[in-house]
Amino acid sequence: MRSFPRLSPFATLTFVLLATAAPGHLEPEAERPASSRRVFGIQVPDVVPHEFYYTRGIYTGGGRRWGGYGRSWTIDYPKSDRQFLLGVKRLLDIDAYGMEHAVALDDPELNRFPFLYMVEVGQTAMTESEIAGLRRYLQAGGFLVVDDFWGSYEWEVWESQITRVFPEYHIVDIPIDHPLMNTVYPIKEILQVPNVGNAHRGVTSEQDGYVPHCRGIFDDQGRLLVVINWNTDLGDAWEWAEDPYYPLKYSTFAWEMGINFIVYSMSH
Amino acid sequence: MESIFAFLFKYRPFVFEKGHFALSAPWSMIGIVAFGVVVLGALSFSYTRVRGKSRWQDRVILGSIRAAALAVILFCLFRPKLMLSTVVPQRNFLGILIDDSQSMQIADQDGARSAFVARTLGSPDSALFKALAERFQLRFFRFSSTADRVADATQVRYTGRESRLGHSLEAARTELAGLPVSGLVVVSDGADNSGVGLTESLLALKGAGVPVFTVGLGRERFEKDIEISRVDAPRSVLLGTSLVVDLLVRQNGYRGSKITVFVEDAGRIVGSREVELPPDGQAAPVRVHFTVTEAGPRVFRFRIAPQAGELVTPNNQQDALILVNDRRDRVLYFEGEPRWEVKFIRRAVDADKNLQVVVLQRTAQDKFLRLSVDSANELIGGFPKTREELFRYRGLILGSVEAGFFTPDQLRMIADFVSQRGGGLLALGGRRSFSEGGYTGTSVADVLPVALGPRAGSDSMPFFAEMKVEPTPAGLSSPITQIGPTEEASAQRWKTLPELSTFNPIGTVKPGATTLLTGSGRDLRSRQAVLAYQRYGRGKSAAFTVQDSWLWQMHASIPLEDQTHETLWRQLLRWIVSDVPFEVTVTASRDRVSPGDPVTLTAEVDDDRYFRINNAVVTAQVVAPTGEKQTIPLDWTVSRDGEYRGTFTPKAEGLYAITVSGNQGSRALPPATAYVQATPLSTEYFDAEMHAPLLKRIAEETGGRFYTPATVSTLPEDVSYTQSGAAVVEEKDLWDMPILFLLLVGLVSAEWGYRRKRGLA
Repeated sequence: MRSFPRLSPFATLTFVLLATAAPGHLEPEAERPASSRRVFGIQVPDVVPHEFYYTRGIYTGGGRRWGGYGRSWTIDYPKSDRQFLLGVKRLLDIDAYGMEHAVALDDPELNRFPFLYMVEVGQTAMTESEIAGLRRYLQAGGFLVVDDFWGSYEWEVWESQITRVFPEYHIVDIPIDHPLMNTVYPIKEILQVPNVGNAHRGVTSEQDGYVPHCRGIFDDQGRLLVVINWNTDLGDAWEWAEDPYYPLKYSTFAWEMGINFIVYSMSH
Repeated sequence: MESIFAFLFKYRPFVFEKGHFALSAPWSMIGIVAFGVVVLGALSFSYTRVRGKSRWQDRVILGSIRAAALAVILFCLFRPKLMLSTVVPQRNFLGILIDDSQSMQIADQDGARSAFVARTLGSPDSALFKALAERFQLRFFRFSSTADRVADATQVRYTGRESRLGHSLEAARTELAGLPVSGLVVVSDGADNSGVGLTESLLALKGAGVPVFTVGLGRERFEKDIEISRVDAPRSVLLGTSLVVDLLVRQNGYRGSKITVFVEDAGRIVGSREVELPPDGQAAPVRVHFTVTEAGPRVFRFRIAPQAGELVTPNNQQDALILVNDRRDRVLYFEGEPRWEVKFIRRAVDADKNLQVVVLQRTAQDKFLRLSVDSANELIGGFPKTREELFRYRGLILGSVEAGFFTPDQLRMIADFVSQRGGGLLALGGRRSFSEGGYTGTSVADVLPVALGPRAGSDSMPFFAEMKVEPTPAGLSSPITQIGPTEEASAQRWKTLPELSTFNPIGTVKPGATTLLTGSGRDLRSRQAVLAYQRYGRGKSAAFTVQDSWLWQMHASIPLEDQTHETLWRQLLRWIVSDVPFEVTVTASRDRVSPGDPVTLTAEVDDDRYFRINNAVVTAQVVAPTGEKQTIPLDWTVSRDGEYRGTFTPKAEGLYAITVSGNQGSRALPPATAYVQATPLSTEYFDAEMHAPLLKRIAEETGGRFYTPATVSTLPEDVSYTQSGAAVVEEKDLWDMPILFLLLVGLVSAEWGYRRKRGLA
């Protein structure tokens, strides 16, 4: 990712609105009207909740590289989320909320949404409450997919952060014959999915991240809690799938992986 | 009262019951009547002619009194008599049946019940024995499960473990057949634990004209006693099941006391429950919870420690034989869309080694995800299309999948899965469930425990309501919805669980269904059923109408170590597959018997489509505790399709393993196993008070009479008035009954008193 060359005025406005709103911290359950749902600090009409919310994790981090606002969690947001959900709803018979949906890691409301996506995790600097919230979420049955971080430096950052969440577990490669890779679409190979700019140039890697990995964290009962997509950018493939110059094979692969993640998380 | 009657009327009421009335005047009846008419006419004439100071009312009263006195005298002149059939001494036989069961050792009257027998019938010097022996040829029997001839009452040992009154009476009658029998005397506490009705035996005795005279021994109510009178336990469960067993505790003399019911598995206490005892004579239902942790046939003992002053203590405990199966029961969960319930239900029962939830999940049009299947081909074609394929599972969960997905044959098959196969069906709430899924009017709707009406909401705006879930009284005590170690803890836990939601407004629950959980919320018109179930045909169905029970695992207010969600789903699914039959099932008439008592084995035999088959060759192999094997052929009963029966009698004490196998043509049927424990039972100490109503009924229906030790002295005379056997007719004069003399004196005195009062003397 990294570039916003064709950001529409609507997307820009949305981004600005969302980025300046106070994240998370939803009011207690008893005060929440049944006829609305709070999305990224905004009360939206939502008379009937959906089964699936593609939930983006709001975390602390980002630093100066993202304007000093600590907003690296917003990368590709919300276009990537919306486009991904369009594909999901077309390819799965699922009752999914079709819009972006972001929740802070330390928001108790996060536990209502057992699928969580975090992006640019090489920039994370999670607070203690976020660490505790994420740990509790995953132990209770939540499922985390991280994406779009590259190279050894960002790996070290993410590894140090996730080790704070689960000091007792190790990160391991998810074998290609794992059920995750076969839940809906059979994945034969982990492709390196480039950001849109690199894709236009025919390059796939960033920094020193030349080999894509799909790694995971399993708990002591063998349950997969976290899927780590390193040296790859599935989010950009969803975001720029309509771009005729973005290679189809990457966006196809990204959807296949994403749909596998969703169905696996909802059944395992 | 009876003695006053006998004083006034000269004879006891029983004599009047047995005899019939007759007049035997030495003179001509017509002459006596004519004489009476003349006298009464003269009387009337003289009273009407009287003048003086008497009024006409005085003359009517005095004339009536005088006429009544004359009527009494005329009655005596008719020589009234009682005609009685009386046995010829020593020409008739009298069978005396003495209860040989253990309960006769209970000392609840003047010594043990058996002591009365020894004093009266066991001693030739006793008045009763002499009186009977003077009139009859006595034949003694001892009876428990059957009646055996004995030389005299001293040979009764009181060791029988069962009382079968009807069977014993018939056995005695058969033994005395062909002899002039005046009647049978039954000396017993009246306990009959055969479980068989007496009507047929009594009709046979009545038809043969053999009256039965019953002597009831013991108290009708113990002063101090506690009894576990009933234990309702399942015959088989899955290993690890959290079991709830219902007991019935009766007591006298310990009202309000707190006692503890213990559950023991091979001497190890696995559960207990403190109970406050109910008022005297009442039964208290007691529910005990425990978990079965050992596989195989297990004998669980339910025990209350003997209390101070308790008369009978063997009835403080009961045993139950439960077959604990360490098998994996398979449940098919068909889900119509990706849903969180799939993940969290699988997660909840993942650690349960005795449950296998096979998931078939539709992810997209004609695309299915199969999970936990046993083979690559299992469910390869989607939802089963044949009975064989579907009926392999013992339970079926229908998730959010519209009725239109299924063919009419598949919907019928799902209904048959419950009604004919005997499987358990659980319907989950969801956007495509119940009425909202178009099930109204389908075969599946007939099976469900909730009534389905028109669809609520629309595709674009479905019905939705959040609700607080609460257990009903039935839910509080149900093993399915108990989510705490005790009922109190469970009730408390239910109060703290977060709200769930539903897409399915359930109007009413069907009559006969049981509601365990209900929900209420601001978007619901009224409280609605959340978890309800009913028996349907051979199986059962349940409806769980919420769509997000997974929140009870994920919600931020649920502690990580909390097991509510896991416990609820494990219990629910274990219940769904409990008691689900296999192709061949075998049950014993009783799973605990005394050695020597016959056991009837009943096998129900289906083919793999669960159609009853009548042409199978079915045998039962019985392995005795000694290792001895016996093959029992089971024959088709003809009265019911697929039902086969046979009988065996365990001789030795211990556990008998029964394996039923068979063939239908060349196809071998899967074997079925059951167990029977042969052990000396203490049945006699249960419900051991004297059962006067039963003994009275026997006497009344056969023309005999009921006695207690206080009234038994008249037995010899009463028996002698029987019409059975060799008898002669005896006439008993009634003209000299004291009541007639007293009546005459009274009438004359009344006339004199009236005259004195009116100044007419």
